[in-house]
Amino acid sequence: MAEQSGTETLFDLWKKQMDDGIQAWTRMVSQTPDPGQFWRPFMDQSIATWTQMMAKGPVSPDVMAQWKQFLDQWIAAWGKALEQAMGTEAFAQALGRHLDQWLSLQAPVQKGAAAMNDALRAMGVPTQADLTRIARRLSGLDDRLEEIEDRLGTLLSRLGGAPGPARGDAGSGSPGASD
Amino acid sequence: MKNGPPDAREHQTTAGPADRWQQEAARNLQRLKNFSVLMADPGAPAVGSTPREEIYRRGAARLYRYTSARTRQVPLLFIPNLGLSRPYIFDLMPGMSFVEYMTREGFDFYLLDWGTFGPEDSDLTLEECLTRTLPRAVRKVLETSGADRLSLLGYCMGGTLAACYLGLTPEGPVANLVNMAGPIDFGHTGLFGRWLDRRFFDADKVADTFGELPVAMIKAGMQLLKPTMELTSRLNLWWNLWNADYVEGYRALNRWANEYVSMPGEFFRAWIKAFYQDNRLIRGELQCGERVARLGAIRCPVLAVAAQEDHICPPGAVQALISAVGSDDTQYLELPGGHISLIAGRSASAHCWPRILNWLAARS
Repeated sequence: MAEQSGTETLFDLWKKQMDDGIQAWTRMVSQTPDPGQFWRPFMDQSIATWTQMMAKGPVSPDVMAQWKQFLDQWIAAWGKALEQAMGTEAFAQALGRHLDQWLSLQAPVQKGAAAMNDALRAMGVPTQADLTRIARRLSGLDDRLEEIEDRLGTLLSRLGGAPGPARGDAGSGSPGASD
Repeated sequence: MKNGPPDAREHQTTAGPADRWQQEAARNLQRLKNFSVLMADPGAPAVGSTPREEIYRRGAARLYRYTSARTRQVPLLFIPNLGLSRPYIFDLMPGMSFVEYMTREGFDFYLLDWGTFGPEDSDLTLEECLTRTLPRAVRKVLETSGADRLSLLGYCMGGTLAACYLGLTPEGPVANLVNMAGPIDFGHTGLFGRWLDRRFFDADKVADTFGELPVAMIKAGMQLLKPTMELTSRLNLWWNLWNADYVEGYRALNRWANEYVSMPGEFFRAWIKAFYQDNRLIRGELQCGERVARLGAIRCPVLAVAAQEDHICPPGAVQALISAVGSDDTQYLELPGGHISLIAGRSASAHCWPRILNWLAARS
């Protein structure tokens, strides 16, 4: 029962997103003074290419190259039109809404994973979180070793009069970085 | 972002129709043969084959030195993007490798590979990259090469990071800065700039939900940016299928195009908010630790290279570097093609790499 209502929710969400998408597209098309203007480049370009091809007379081996050129231009025209549509504020807004809803759907999944981690931990099985914690501690140790190495390098260079190893540091505020 | 390999050279001929039909038939046979090979050989092509050694590692990041017969005094540190894609695009395969090209020309070449990230890296910050990893990589390069100055070459996000680093440390040992398709003024970042507007895009929610920018979102974003790319790429493959070299290049590039890398959550949060939403770098408001990145304080020679059809980093976003820096020696190049055509493919090796080489050679 719960599964059914989950499916319905997903379906409703999908339907709503479709509606939003269609509305955004419609708004975009209606924003141009002449909606036909949107399709005209495809039509003009197709007609021009075909006219050129037909004017050349009998079919030659070049027809393949012309066909490829036609497809390239056709895809380029589509790409340009899509870019124009996707550059509108309405599209960005719809995209943002879609992402927001998707992220909201992910929250229960993350919650489920956390619950599973708790269960594994109770059984004494190391979880991804445990491994991550260990990896971070190792990484922290790595950092501390580097800081000691930096300090040693600085000391050695002062003793030996060689150029200091801290050249190029960006003032991290870390103890070893700018000593 | 993911382009196909460049079209193979079109066969120019003055032969008659019969010869040309014959040639077309031969090509179709070759297409069939290469298609069968493509289908039957599922093995991934070898990539990144230029010899190298790891000279430094920090967290997921690795610094590599490539083997070269060094003839230039000033070593070159290459900084790619962090996350999103793998850096072997810069050393794709013999004859199609920027690394190979530069090492052959005598540069002591280093690459900072930011690495691939797991959940343990989700708290990697922009500040850590700029004030710890990058300065240490710079120091290691100088120690290894024995030089006292180096050139920084950043590509895509790496160009932005290199400019940030230099803006934070203008007194640092950087002899030259090259920014290839790295956005500086995020007010000109095209579709991404529009979609990532703070009114529509909640970076915090993404970072808090996943702890990273997941690969699926990166892939979706790239495909949405250029929805016709896949179709164009397949069409070009079919057209050039008779050419075995093209097919080999396509396989390598296709492998790279399908290997996305997630971005650590904290880094992603800062990248979107500080750059795309607040445009802090160009405004002189990007703070790391106690310092503020000031592009105007950069005095070394600067080269900015943009691609005319770049959807990820449109030319306006790159060109801004030139007017923002305080250098007397600056140059801006705008080359034909898209984002990838600066770094991989025939267009890159014919138009882009030689220009970068000449500019750097004169100052190295």
